[in-house]
Amino acid sequence: MWGWRSSRTVVIGLAAALFVVSCVLPLASFLMTSLRGAATAFTLDARQWGLLVNTAGLGVGTAVVATVIGAPLGLLLARASLPSKALLRVGLAAPLLLPPYVVALAWTYLGNSRGLLATVAGYDALAAWTYSLPAAVLVLGLVLYPLSMLAAEVALRRIDGRLEEAALMVAGPRGVFWRITVPLVAPGIMAAALVVFVLAVSEFGVPGVLRVRVYTTEIFTAFAALYDPGRAALLALPLLALCLVVAVAAVALLGDRFVSARRGAGTPSALRFERSRALLAGITVVLVTALGLPLAVLAREALNSRSIIAAIGGSSEAIVNSLRLATLGASAVVGIAMWLGYARARAASGLGRLADIGLVVLFAVPGTLVGVGLIDIWNRPGPFGGLYGTDGMLVLAYLARLLPVAVLALAASSRTIPMSHEEAAAVSGAGWLRTMGRIVVPQMHLGLMAAWLVAFVLAFGELGVSILVAPPGETTLPIRIYTLIANAPSSSVAVLALLQAGIILGPLVVLGAILAHREVS
Amino acid sequence: MPYRYRTALGVALAAFTVVALAACRGSDPGAQAPRTVTIYVSTDRVFSEPVLRAYERQSGVTVNAVYDTEETKSTGLANRLLAEQARPQADVFWSNEPVRTLVLKSRNALAPYRSPNAEGIPTALVDTDGFWTGFSARIRVIAYNTTLVKAADAPTSVFDLTDPRWRGQVAIADPRFGSTSFHVAALYAAAGDERMDAFFRGLKANDVKIVDGNSVVRDLVARGEVKVGLTDTDDVNVAIEDGQPIAMVLPDAAGLGVPVMPNMVSLIANAPHVEEGQRLIDYLLSRDVEEQLARSEAVQIPLHAGVPGPKNVPAIDTFTPMTLDFTKAAQRVEDVTGRLAGILGL
Repeated sequence: MWGWRSSRTVVIGLAAALFVVSCVLPLASFLMTSLRGAATAFTLDARQWGLLVNTAGLGVGTAVVATVIGAPLGLLLARASLPSKALLRVGLAAPLLLPPYVVALAWTYLGNSRGLLATVAGYDALAAWTYSLPAAVLVLGLVLYPLSMLAAEVALRRIDGRLEEAALMVAGPRGVFWRITVPLVAPGIMAAALVVFVLAVSEFGVPGVLRVRVYTTEIFTAFAALYDPGRAALLALPLLALCLVVAVAAVALLGDRFVSARRGAGTPSALRFERSRALLAGITVVLVTALGLPLAVLAREALNSRSIIAAIGGSSEAIVNSLRLATLGASAVVGIAMWLGYARARAASGLGRLADIGLVVLFAVPGTLVGVGLIDIWNRPGPFGGLYGTDGMLVLAYLARLLPVAVLALAASSRTIPMSHEEAAAVSGAGWLRTMGRIVVPQMHLGLMAAWLVAFVLAFGELGVSILVAPPGETTLPIRIYTLIANAPSSSVAVLALLQAGIILGPLVVLGAILAHREVS
Repeated sequence: MPYRYRTALGVALAAFTVVALAACRGSDPGAQAPRTVTIYVSTDRVFSEPVLRAYERQSGVTVNAVYDTEETKSTGLANRLLAEQARPQADVFWSNEPVRTLVLKSRNALAPYRSPNAEGIPTALVDTDGFWTGFSARIRVIAYNTTLVKAADAPTSVFDLTDPRWRGQVAIADPRFGSTSFHVAALYAAAGDERMDAFFRGLKANDVKIVDGNSVVRDLVARGEVKVGLTDTDDVNVAIEDGQPIAMVLPDAAGLGVPVMPNMVSLIANAPHVEEGQRLIDYLLSRDVEEQLARSEAVQIPLHAGVPGPKNVPAIDTFTPMTLDFTKAAQRVEDVTGRLAGILGL
């Protein structure tokens, strides 16, 4: 009995220590150092209120748009008879691969006074809407809806079909859908909406391009224009407070369902949709708007490039670095998050909810603050200093940015595994590690794969922290793209952006094929 | 120690060690090359990288370069240098505009070094304390679309941009960042707060478009989305070489003077490789490098007399530059940023 507890304590304790070192210490260090030297006191004046309203509006609006688009698509993927579903899933999830900044650029190419829309319509159809908060909401919603879509699909697939079958005996399909199906999937969809909210409020590129004043752009200004980390720290506080309020509300509303999902009993659902023209038309509209249009606009720009090969040439080292480091980073993230997610799933209710709130807030911390905090912790004499100036700093950057959301995702995955399986293994004499390796982890494999893929995609495109801690003389593809943007023609930028999207499409295709194989089998 | 405890600890530590060692491929100078130098560069990578690669070939020294993004895309290398101040990684900082360098000087992040190759550079473009040296300059210009605007009708002063005939047809980069922040701070220092506040109110009333960066201004002008814009010589030249309908005017040649922005190179305080850093600075301040930058699409104007200048851009002795105290201009940046946030609604 003591041995059982001991190995679990060691492993989870080690994972927790790595989490604290990677995620908590940089933020704590930055806040302590910067707030101590902050020259200006924080006052909630009209400008601050404006920032708060815009930031909250961006977050809520994006979550609503992403859910309105994504949840029905998830429903169709789970319950509709669709052609080439695996391919469709990959296509519908692909917008997540496009760097949000690049999608915002494509939007401006489309909607400006001489853009594609104005050319076709004959007048400036979008006028004041091109650079606006609604535009930022739309762009981010179109990039992030795949998160809602995948969450909805997973939640729907986990519903025990027998519940719906039983309900169909006394109610019609519509009633069963709204009274049984929707309440069962709502927690998963709301959890995804919260992740979308946090991603939106911590996003800088899109509001920067579309000239929307939010906290991330103000924090950026404090660093880039005023070189004032104290001011940046003060500006980060309302942003983190906003995320704290939303996280508390979400956890209060959902309770333990925030990270739980029912385990599918293997009985397929009786509620299914037949293929129809309207369904296919709706899916086509989403694909064209969210994926086709930005790619077409980028491709149109890329074709103007004097030499596509020249634009790509010299990027091979950056591509290899990005692939290598994103693979390492995603593996490290999942390797640590797996244990912490398990611990969260098995934690007592109150402690677990506190952990959920903390994880959401940590996920919202702007990348620049994390980067400066990492430099403060690791750039010092002694053993810590040995890691600084190496690739290890980039892996640490990925851990700092991605561990919190990976822990939440894998907690949901762990929760579907009944405790009775572990208890049965214990009764049979298996130790905890053996039980994890033979019983728990195999049942989590799909969740682990999905978490790894999302971590890989986000790590590959990470810029805000990377640019601060990448070792001199080495670069990743996003850093290379962004350092070339300054005076490379927009056509060359478009080529490299398409290259970035294309490279990370590979793992998505693989996952799609695996999911397709599971569906068939 | 129970077996399971040791096994658990061993597995966890082994896994972590494998990942950590696999990740840790770094630029340790002692292990990888006998001579290295690290430079942080905020001059556009497309122009600076060839210069640094040429130095590598010529000297045999490995140059570890960290490049910067456009000023509105990331918080920039100056912040990284400030964050690393307790234990610098960089030896040299090469900036493409004065504000960053002067902020670093004010925060004691630089060390003085007077290069012998600074001989011949105008004294106004060399720090009297030796913390920075200017070379290869750019000019702030008014770009105009040649299809929509005749050369004779193009504005000749920044103050012309508030004229109602340019309503909705003017673009500028965000004046809080980069070379535009320097230009704006220099104008405030030269023309006074009252005149400049009125100018920016006039721009706002004239529906000025404020965009991400100088290259975006150039693109808007070249595409004809706006007729005129404030940007830099290298940005306009890229479009001219690309055959786009754009040209430039040197603003205020007959008034305040044309704003000239030198590149600046500095030695970092407590740099890990001081001698290599000094040699790299000597190289960057050489006539050869000025000629390279003049010949490139950067079209940067040599400050050493006798070095051939770039095409498309007039030589520095053919116009009247703005008389500038760089330190005073840099000191105005924070104050001006605050003023403009209110006036322009940034």
